[in-house]
Amino acid sequence: MVSHTDGKRHRRNQMLTRAGLYALLAVLAVPFVYPTLWMLVSGFKPIDEIFRVPPTLLPQQWTLDGVSKVFTVTPFARQYFNSLYLSVVITVGTVAVGALAGYAFARIRFPGANFLFLVLISGIMIPGEVTIIPIFRWVSQLHLLDNHLPLIVLQVFGPGCVVSVFIFRQFFLSLPVELEEAARLDGLGRLGIFLRISFPLSGPAIAAVAIMKFLSAFNMYFEPLILLRSPELFPVGLGLTGFQDSYSEPLYNTQIAATALTVVPILVVFLFAQRQFVEGLARTGLKG
Amino acid sequence: MRSRAARIDAVWGVAMAAPAVLGVTVLGLVPFGFVIWYSLHDWAPLAGRFTWVGGANFVRLLNDDVMWGSLLTTLQFTGMLVVINIGLALVLALLLNQRFRGAVAFRAFFFSPVVVSSVAWVLIWSYLVAANGGINGVLATWGIEGPNWLRDPQWALLTVVVIQVFKGVGMNMVLFLAALQGVPAELKEAARVDGASPARSLVSITLPMITPTILMVIMITTIGSLDVFVPIQVLTQGGPGRSTTVISYLLYQTAFLQQRFGYASAIGVILFLVSLLFAALQWGSRKRWVHDEV
Amino acid sequence: MHSYVSRRRILGALGLAAGAVGGGALTGCSTSRPATRGPVKLRMLTWTSNERHLAVFNRIGAAYLEQHKDKVSEVVFDGVVDGTYLKALTTQIGGGDVPDLAWTFEGMAAQFIDSGVFANLTPTLTAVPDYHVDDLVDGAMDLWRKDGDIYAYPFSNSPLGIYANLDVIKAAKLPSPRDLLASGEWTWDKLMEMAAAIGKQADRAGFQSAADPAKDWNSALGPIWLSWNARPWTADGRTCTFAAPEMVTFLEWFHRQIFVAGAMPQPGQQFDFAAGQVGFRMAQLSMSAGLKDSFEWDFLPMPAGPSGTVPVVGQGAVGVVAQGRNPEIAADFLAYFTNKENSALLAAFFPPPRKSLLAVEALSTAAPALTSAQIQGTVIDQAVKAVTKVGHAKLSELDDPIRAGLDALWHKDADVRRVLETLTAAVQKIIDE
Repeated sequence: MVSHTDGKRHRRNQMLTRAGLYALLAVLAVPFVYPTLWMLVSGFKPIDEIFRVPPTLLPQQWTLDGVSKVFTVTPFARQYFNSLYLSVVITVGTVAVGALAGYAFARIRFPGANFLFLVLISGIMIPGEVTIIPIFRWVSQLHLLDNHLPLIVLQVFGPGCVVSVFIFRQFFLSLPVELEEAARLDGLGRLGIFLRISFPLSGPAIAAVAIMKFLSAFNMYFEPLILLRSPELFPVGLGLTGFQDSYSEPLYNTQIAATALTVVPILVVFLFAQRQFVEGLARTGLKG
Repeated sequence: MRSRAARIDAVWGVAMAAPAVLGVTVLGLVPFGFVIWYSLHDWAPLAGRFTWVGGANFVRLLNDDVMWGSLLTTLQFTGMLVVINIGLALVLALLLNQRFRGAVAFRAFFFSPVVVSSVAWVLIWSYLVAANGGINGVLATWGIEGPNWLRDPQWALLTVVVIQVFKGVGMNMVLFLAALQGVPAELKEAARVDGASPARSLVSITLPMITPTILMVIMITTIGSLDVFVPIQVLTQGGPGRSTTVISYLLYQTAFLQQRFGYASAIGVILFLVSLLFAALQWGSRKRWVHDEV
Repeated sequence: MHSYVSRRRILGALGLAAGAVGGGALTGCSTSRPATRGPVKLRMLTWTSNERHLAVFNRIGAAYLEQHKDKVSEVVFDGVVDGTYLKALTTQIGGGDVPDLAWTFEGMAAQFIDSGVFANLTPTLTAVPDYHVDDLVDGAMDLWRKDGDIYAYPFSNSPLGIYANLDVIKAAKLPSPRDLLASGEWTWDKLMEMAAAIGKQADRAGFQSAADPAKDWNSALGPIWLSWNARPWTADGRTCTFAAPEMVTFLEWFHRQIFVAGAMPQPGQQFDFAAGQVGFRMAQLSMSAGLKDSFEWDFLPMPAGPSGTVPVVGQGAVGVVAQGRNPEIAADFLAYFTNKENSALLAAFFPPPRKSLLAVEALSTAAPALTSAQIQGTVIDQAVKAVTKVGHAKLSELDDPIRAGLDALWHKDADVRRVLETLTAAVQKIIDE
């Protein structure tokens, strides 16, 4: 039994630690939050205030000038939709490819497994800036320039899927084998085990891969720059650069307003999703 | 003698791994093969020149001071970035792994830069780290004269590293959080009952249990850092002097600014080898410190 | 925890996934066509995606299409963001998707022409009736001619001038730049003297060049050193003259203005003219669009250096890509795009190299924020006698080594002569390769 005074001291210590924790976190959070906040707010500044020195956080002069141009100057709504649907398609595809391969490498013995896994690992190390050239040639020869299909295929099946294979493999390795053995006794084949037992349990891995892939697909810039031509097909990251004035100078306040518009919904989605993700893993009680 | 069941299983294995393996081969390795082919030529696309030079590009690379310098810079850049990023991500994950009011909000704060586009993030920071910018302004109120963050050769690389770390650490933090929450509560409870201090429990139980994730995050972060060039392009253009010219930026410069695709392809091959080296070292070390590695 | 997930749910999920991927593929539409013998598609690569520019281009393209339906099926203008223009052009050519026409700026002129990127336009331009080749300002065409043939048309000739923040100048009790110009005292030394006085104040910069010298040496220093008769290399580009007396004198002067006089911001400091913090800023027409009327400003011609006044113009040119599939048709379109009538349309945004169009009325649409006096004095009068910044056939190879070499200058204790001698050796080595 803890005495009365010990209890009080314990609680006081706890409060001090708590306060210290909040203080530390608040300080640490500044370099993360300030720039994002600046960006969200600067869309409402007139163009000559954005780069003033010393920089202002809140606009000294609120204006809708930048924001109003966002939808009129370029097909922004269309580009936003492009980014959204591309990201969803790519994410779904990557989860499928990654889960299948990750499971195979984690659980199944097949000839050449180690070698093929090394092949996969070497895939991530390939520098994308130069390999885009031969890929560009192929796409051009297939007359698939200015088309979303190559972008999707490249992201889902290309070197970008290897990280998801890693994550899924890691996860499946940590699943208890007994579950699968029980299923096998029940007469399920390998595919059945995967589809009915292992994959449905891989929620946390799915979430991790989905978050990473969705974000990287949403902010895609380089491949669309090379492979797309029509502004109506651009994803939003590329479309943002199209806000120019009549001298082809960037309209910074519009660009920033547009950037803010793309960021806010994702942040909101993340806020809801991360609760599922982070705590989902805890629920299964499995190690990471 | 493999049983029929084992053979069917093996077929399923190949089939399930096939999309990823085929995809990476066709879309990654085959193009890379082309890149190796290009590296054996002198290729200037604008001039329409594509002539065979064999190993001349590589010989030239070996004698190129700029190349060696950028290798060193890359090692420094990646080293600093990985250490700071992983360290910070772990600290943040440990701090936020507890249940308290506002933990979720803080997690979102630290994750928010991951969502912002690279160009926007770097542009905003360029105003903060200007010699007369926000950061130095704050330091001045405390009587400290801040260095010229991007123009002082001593600080430029570190500044770029820090800007990049703040952008990406949130993702690693989330991955570590997931791993931490997966550490079985019974183990920690048992340690507490045995009288272990929280610090001891952390070092002996929690951390070892998440070493597989730590290794994976280290490898992913390393590879990612070797690809970084947007911050350098926007902030320093490889300067001051050449102090921030990492290999990926040198590649971009050589290919698209200097128009020497053959030479750039050779640099690309070197970049691949460097990535391979890092990955091999990290993967090879896993038996020594990663818990339960299969 | 469920033991088995029902078969129906699995099939449903798989179907959804397949549908998503398939549907995604179908939604993306393709605009490329297979190559045919018939009417061809022409594509011009540009660095603008401004909707008003594109409107004018498309109008010209449509008119051309009307008259040449048998030869041309479509005229397309692709806008790439300026910073990535060269990268996109190079990748497209390297990847086999060559644009028929492309833009370039004056710095790359020598390189593009020497390495055969652009096709010879003279046969087409002289053959097209009513083109009026003699209407073209000689000085503007200099860079784009080789051995008497024209290789590109400089559709945009934007002179550099000095924007002056009159409020800031008045507040520092300094004389008006217009008055100095009228009395013949408008020199670089005088400008820097005034800039130094402004720079002493907090949150103020005296003079900003057209670019940051550490990031873009040719834009920042190039227009100014011509007034010292300093050049980085001889006219034939074969000998590096970075360490020549004129250049050393100029850079020592420039260095002093930053580190001793405080007329220019210290390296790494950022100021914005449009925000009203800078006294003088060298720039082209384009900057006027970003200036509101929050302060009074003027746009003046370039001041005089020890070797007199040298007006400098920045050019954007369009040419036919020699490796393209249809160079003859492309050349014909270029001739149409840049003939006298269409040049007048383009002049709404891009100051043309045509004498007949160098008039205040024609250009006032291009620069609505400038007064007639400013357009006449700073734009038109300078355009006829302006020169361009120096270029070089190997500019793309020299650019970064020069940047890295000049970096040593931007420190207080730099030994200008020594830095330039080292740089000269490095540059000469590349030139000689």
